[in-house]
Amino acid sequence: MAGNASLYRWRAIKNAMALGLGSLATLFGLFWLVWILGITFLRGIDALKPALFTQMTPPPGADGGLANALFGSVLMSLMALAIGAPIGICAGTWLAEYARRGKLGETIRFLNDILLSAPSIVLGLFVYTLIVAQTRQFSAIAGAIALALLVIPVVVRTTDEMLRLVPSTMREAALSLGVPQWKMVLQILLRASRAGIVTGVLLALARISGETAPLLFTALNNQYWSADVTKPMASVPVVIFQFAMSPFESWHALAWAGAFVVTLFVLALSLISRFLLARSKVTHD
Amino acid sequence: MTDSAAASIAPATAASAPAQASAPQTPKIAVRGLDFYYHGFHALKGISLDIPTRQVTAIIGPSGCGKSTLLRVLNRIYAIYPKLEATGEVLLDGENILDPRYSLNRLRSKVGMVFQKPVPFPMSIYDNIAYGIRHHEKLGRAAMDARVERALRQAALWDEVKDKLKQNALGLSGGQQQRLCIARAIALKPEVLLLDEPTSALDPIATGRIEQLIEELKRDYTIVIVTHNMQQAARCSDHTAFMYLGELVEFDRTETIFTKPARQQTEDYITGRFG
Repeated sequence: MAGNASLYRWRAIKNAMALGLGSLATLFGLFWLVWILGITFLRGIDALKPALFTQMTPPPGADGGLANALFGSVLMSLMALAIGAPIGICAGTWLAEYARRGKLGETIRFLNDILLSAPSIVLGLFVYTLIVAQTRQFSAIAGAIALALLVIPVVVRTTDEMLRLVPSTMREAALSLGVPQWKMVLQILLRASRAGIVTGVLLALARISGETAPLLFTALNNQYWSADVTKPMASVPVVIFQFAMSPFESWHALAWAGAFVVTLFVLALSLISRFLLARSKVTHD
Repeated sequence: MTDSAAASIAPATAASAPAQASAPQTPKIAVRGLDFYYHGFHALKGISLDIPTRQVTAIIGPSGCGKSTLLRVLNRIYAIYPKLEATGEVLLDGENILDPRYSLNRLRSKVGMVFQKPVPFPMSIYDNIAYGIRHHEKLGRAAMDARVERALRQAALWDEVKDKLKQNALGLSGGQQQRLCIARAIALKPEVLLLDEPTSALDPIATGRIEQLIEELKRDYTIVIVTHNMQQAARCSDHTAFMYLGELVEFDRTETIFTKPARQQTEDYITGRFG
């Protein structure tokens, strides 16, 4: 009996230690997040007003907002998703369903993982030499392509993983009805892993919405409103980069405000994708 | 046909004569000298048996004896995985389904399958049933509605779901999901129904309902059920095959297998002395 009691005590102590360390680690992580959000908010508060979303980036000293940069970021991100998400979903589906065990599939999965961790500035330079240098023109479309190259590996990876999570009995059940493989993949498997794939796309969006390097060499920047995708276009990260490096107070405030908006946006995307995944897990059980 | 069947069973079982006597009509499925290789591993060894029409045939045996493998040969579902190979003959109404010329589409519309874990598709209850039908037949709305209702009624699920056909099938209970899977399989009007441990993930009440259902379904379908549960085999099958280490040890009327088996191995297994 005494042995049991001391064993129990020891377990309780170990439990308390693990719980304590875990909580500390969580607090440590949250602390930085709160600090980042707090500091960007405080520094940018002067510029955090409706004009941020309605006025153009100003010349030094004048009042203004980030309307053109926000528009550029949204447009280029959406174009990047429009290009990258379908390619990524198709490639991920091929990896998971048609090349699961083959050498070719393994190789491509490995290369995709390399692309996933490739420095984004390399992709920016790549698109620069491939498109910008050829057309002799910085353009929003070049920026979108550079961002799409970041989207593709993320979406390929998540699609591949989400489809592999679908139990093989689901495939067998569909095939045992005489349904051909392509129909099963399109109508059953992609539907079953829809939440996970959408999450992958959202995570890719979160990743590209803060990217500066690939845009520096491709979309460049634009002080004015532009919706012409063949011309240079402003984006929030590049404007933050430019304004933060400047000696002007009003630009600094705008840069902080931009940073706050981007951080909040990425945070919201992460939360939404967490929520989507959690909900899909409940329905799977 | 039956004579040669009995002859080819003979090496595998000492009780070939009763097996033949109990299946007087032409068998629905006749397995002849079936060998199965799983990545080179010899998983089924010279299996021969006759599965009688519109009766329930149970396959029992300890884990890894090849009973699920045998079932999965009967609709060639194993073929979706690489490096699996079946040799020999499996005659469905006299035609060899292992022949690559036998179309999978045709085979699977004749031989339905229900799996261990219920796997409803991520769509509505109605669409779960209609999905397979749509692939094989073009039906109008009314005809489709009737087919879906008939399948759900046959699977004893209609009364529970008739008011929520448009709801997601994932919201059903485990037992309901399994009956939905049975409905999905019989909606294609198959001739044979393969059940792979259909109740092992269900509670006793849901199990009871499925067993009752099997009793009713055998009026229209030839049923082959793989089960770990010997009471289940005894309760709801007409014939029982006992397999061990990839071989068919004994195949006979269920009554005979459970009361006076011809082989010591069979008796040891059903009395719980091993396995």
